[in-house]
Amino acid sequence: MPPFSLVTPTSVEEAVAELRTVAPGEVAVLAGGTDLSFDLDRAGPSLRRVLSLRRLPWRTLDWNGPVLTVGSTLPLRSLEEDPGISRRHPGLYQAIRAVGGVPLRHRATLGGNLGRASPASDLLPVLLVLDAEVDLVGPAGSRSVGVDRFLLGPRRTVLAHDELIRSVRFPEPRPSAYLWQRVRPANDISQIAVAAAFSPSERRWRLAVGGIPPRATRLPDAEQRLASSVAPTDPELRPMAEEASRQLPIAGDRRRASEEYRRHLVGVLLSRAVRAAAAHLSEGAR
Amino acid sequence: MTHRPLSIAVNGTARSLDDVPDSERLLDTIRWRLGLKGTKEGCRSGECGACTVLVDGVSTLSCLTLSREVDGTSLTTVEGVADDPVGKEVAEAFARAGAVQCGYCTPGFVMALVGLLKERGRSATVEELLADLGGNLCRCTGYLSIARAVALLSRESP
Amino acid sequence: MSTFRPRPDASPKLAGSAVYGMDLELPGMLWAALVPSPTAHGRLRAVDLAPARALPGVVAVGAADVASLLSGAHGDAERPVFPSETVVFRHQPVAAVAAPTLERAREAARAVRVDVESLPVVSDLEDLFPDWPGPEAEGSPHIAAHVRAHSGDVEAVFRSAETVVRETYRTASVHQVAIEPHACLAMVDGGLWRVRSSTQTPFGLREDIASLLGVPEEKVVVEGTWVGGGFGGKNAALIEPYALLLAKASGRPVKLSLTYREEFLLGRTTLPSVVRMETAVTNGTIVARRVRLLLDVGTSLPGRDFATGYSIGFLLGPYRTPAFEVEGYAVMTNKPAFGPHRAPFAPQCVFALESHLDHVAREVGLDGVAFRASHLWQEGTTTPMGQTVGPFGLATALERARATAARWRAEKGPDAGVGVAVGFWSTGTGAGGEARLRLSPTELTVVQGEREIGSGSVLAGVAAVVARATGLPRERVTVEYEDTAHAPFDSGVFGSRTTAALGRAAEEAVGSLLEELRRRTNRSGPVRLSVRNGEIVVTAAAGERTIRDLLSDSERRAGGLVAVGKHYGKGGEIDETKVDVGTFYPYTDFTGAAHVAEVAVDRETGTVRVTRYAAFHDIGTVIDGATAPAQVEGGVVMGLGTALTEEAIWSEDGRLLNAGLLDYRLPTLGSVPPIEVAFVEGFPGAGPFGAKGLGEPPIIPVAAAVALAVRDATGAHITELPLSSERVARALKLL
Repeated sequence: MPPFSLVTPTSVEEAVAELRTVAPGEVAVLAGGTDLSFDLDRAGPSLRRVLSLRRLPWRTLDWNGPVLTVGSTLPLRSLEEDPGISRRHPGLYQAIRAVGGVPLRHRATLGGNLGRASPASDLLPVLLVLDAEVDLVGPAGSRSVGVDRFLLGPRRTVLAHDELIRSVRFPEPRPSAYLWQRVRPANDISQIAVAAAFSPSERRWRLAVGGIPPRATRLPDAEQRLASSVAPTDPELRPMAEEASRQLPIAGDRRRASEEYRRHLVGVLLSRAVRAAAAHLSEGAR
Repeated sequence: MTHRPLSIAVNGTARSLDDVPDSERLLDTIRWRLGLKGTKEGCRSGECGACTVLVDGVSTLSCLTLSREVDGTSLTTVEGVADDPVGKEVAEAFARAGAVQCGYCTPGFVMALVGLLKERGRSATVEELLADLGGNLCRCTGYLSIARAVALLSRESP
Repeated sequence: MSTFRPRPDASPKLAGSAVYGMDLELPGMLWAALVPSPTAHGRLRAVDLAPARALPGVVAVGAADVASLLSGAHGDAERPVFPSETVVFRHQPVAAVAAPTLERAREAARAVRVDVESLPVVSDLEDLFPDWPGPEAEGSPHIAAHVRAHSGDVEAVFRSAETVVRETYRTASVHQVAIEPHACLAMVDGGLWRVRSSTQTPFGLREDIASLLGVPEEKVVVEGTWVGGGFGGKNAALIEPYALLLAKASGRPVKLSLTYREEFLLGRTTLPSVVRMETAVTNGTIVARRVRLLLDVGTSLPGRDFATGYSIGFLLGPYRTPAFEVEGYAVMTNKPAFGPHRAPFAPQCVFALESHLDHVAREVGLDGVAFRASHLWQEGTTTPMGQTVGPFGLATALERARATAARWRAEKGPDAGVGVAVGFWSTGTGAGGEARLRLSPTELTVVQGEREIGSGSVLAGVAAVVARATGLPRERVTVEYEDTAHAPFDSGVFGSRTTAALGRAAEEAVGSLLEELRRRTNRSGPVRLSVRNGEIVVTAAAGERTIRDLLSDSERRAGGLVAVGKHYGKGGEIDETKVDVGTFYPYTDFTGAAHVAEVAVDRETGTVRVTRYAAFHDIGTVIDGATAPAQVEGGVVMGLGTALTEEAIWSEDGRLLNAGLLDYRLPTLGSVPPIEVAFVEGFPGAGPFGAKGLGEPPIIPVAAAVALAVRDATGAHITELPLSSERVARALKLL
């Protein structure tokens, strides 16, 4: 590991100022470190600084009416343990539970998942279907970006070199579900992962897929097939599944699954996820 | 770069470590600076759980953690388990259930389970506890004796 | 549970005080790192160590340094420590470096300039031999071994048979994945090459090091540590010669441990195979079989014919056949060498054999289990290779498995299936060993040369044998370990032999100990030991004497009365008239198991979940009631990995694509079904009290049982391992 120095600012201003003192390739931002640590071993001598967000006041979770705001460095385990999450955002809860084991989730964060933008992240598809907003802070102040616009590609986001992710906002509770196909249930990387959510305010479905390169993505054409049906029937699900399978943008990775198998899985899993989310909806209605 | 020493309470004893580089992993600090070899090195990449320790009572993968990130915390390793009532019970359950074979994954399992019992309280069901141990790998036991150890702990709880 | 006796090693392991190879440390030691070949096959133009040596505190050794470090001694020419002309697999170490810190050592390893001219890479054995090897195979540099045997005119029987079924099976490369990577600490002092290592075979390692370095065995001292799992991966020299050469070059102790990535990249393990099966049936009876095996052995050199000449028998048995032909080729590819992995290659053979015979039964309209049962070996059966089967409980085990399967089948849901498979194994009692006993007034100590690798065979198994043979309670028997310079010889912890063979040596030692005590107490009948008022006493028909009374002064000073025992078992013999080409290895002490798997198959994704499992094992005699079922559980779950999820994937240019624990998937806690374990006793083997080995058999029938359960559930007949969800989905015509 190269002899980088670790900087642990105690205020947001200090953190942003610190980012501005070094060139883009010379600094890495450390949240939980569960993904970054792999890279630190391989980083070249150009990595001079690691900026730890540990002391920033971002380990927060706030419910404000329907709006949930999660601080970017809150450990996933704390998010998972909040009783409101499993009840009001079941898909998010399932996705968090899919990440590593508990010791890993004690350090992994939402901010880290977004900032690192790993194609393998289990959380990104759910953030997409929940229309999560990413709150950024930088030298010019704050801005918010929808997750869909925030993610550019594998390991690429709109985050500027001197910006940090402060929090993630979920505008409304949605009946949602997250499903994956894996070789083994725990401690694995998904061959493919899907999320489905129904927006009560807009009365339409959101569908997304992840676990595949280049990035987690919404599937708008497949969403169209479901129209505003709250509880789609099998004849409605079938064209959605076919559309999703057609639309799936992937490059093959032999280690995890073939493209053909992933195209098959996306339809099957999305149908199941929609059914599961619809079941949450009818439970909620009772 | 010069540093102030790293302070950690290690199994209840305050320790101050000089010259710990910023890039050092907690796993290496524990094993090679503190000499506590009970914390095991397996994959070094967060995939096997053998290096699990408690940081302020919270189970943590020491291989993915920079030592300086735990400055000022209290660290519990498997060597400190005997001094902890929950830890002692967990160790006894592992021995009674025959959950220790080669023993290399054992400290990681014990620490992960102690962390869970502290976090969830003794009301956690066996199923919940087992579902939360999925990050630890074992190649000898087939996990069933480990599950029996967990069941002993749950049954014995008031 | 209440009667459970915690293993003696549970306490140090739970306290974190057990020292494994990875934990070794000495003041002033250097850390080593290996310099990998950048390609899977190439001509070495240069290995320039100068940039590494220019770094402060770095010692580097390569092929050019070996001769002077060994002072003119010559190691095994076929197995040089470092290659000097050609590299034959990716990451093959071409040099080794050591430095005061691991970071510096890794930096030095990266600094070494390795110049290789790439040569064509052979990664897949089927690229070499898309069809069965013909005459061109004669003299092919890619054929490491060729074996062939036959009995009767198979071709003629095939022509006249009612039905002939021909199939091809393929199996994947699987790794041992002991959680502790290979690790050792070497030093050279006083002309002795000393190494502490996490090894399954201290004496085997000593022999291997002596051969590789060309030094006499008595100049090599191996001291074992606690072993963090072996499964066959730690029973030969893999890293020790590098550490020893660096220790010699530096004059310092040198620590070498593999990263987990290197563990995958350098480990010797099970490689892919292609199996062809042809079976002729008339009137519901097998009249002839032809089995052929193409086995990838990577860059194997030592024991290269063993892989084919031993494993191939698992494709024939445990079934009677009047006429057969068997042929196998060991094919060399640009991968690390083939190496033992718990019951080497038997699970793969049994998967092919059981799946095939079940398929044959279906083709002729018979029940698969009944068909196999009607051909099963019994005590007294002559095997195809002419061995006589001794007491053999497999038929009994299969009867019990069938009863369980019938019950499960009656209860199962619509997407569920039940499969039954059997497999045989040979307990390695032919590999010899010795043990020494020391009887003090209060304790009986077994002194021996093996470290506990986790199975319990040394600390629980051998101790239980000695307790049972003397009559002492278990807590009065302790097992002590000594290094190869002091311990009595033993072959190693492998081949399911430890409790059986080392246990027999200990039993022999008990025999001479009791004989000596009988002499000292002037008894005529048999004597036993027991404990009275805290003292060990000799009991016999005529009364008791304390050991304290019976020891001489010198014995008391030496810690007790010493007795030694040896056991060098008989190997089996095969009928050489059946051998056409190559070497076939006999089996020694027949044992076996019948397993039942129940699965649920997701018909939309192809995902297989094993929902319950039962294992019935011919064990001769249960020696330790706690560790025996634990062995079965662990072996079955390891087998579930082979069956469903584990596969080392190699690219065309010889890269291992999933060299890590995230993408090489062993089972996790959530994927394990409940397992019923039962033992069939009363068919004694060659071990103490009729015990047979149990370390390896539990993994053998698993993949076959799961495959047959999947077929039962879905009708899908899958002929490749592992049964990944994608493979099942294809078989279900979902893709």
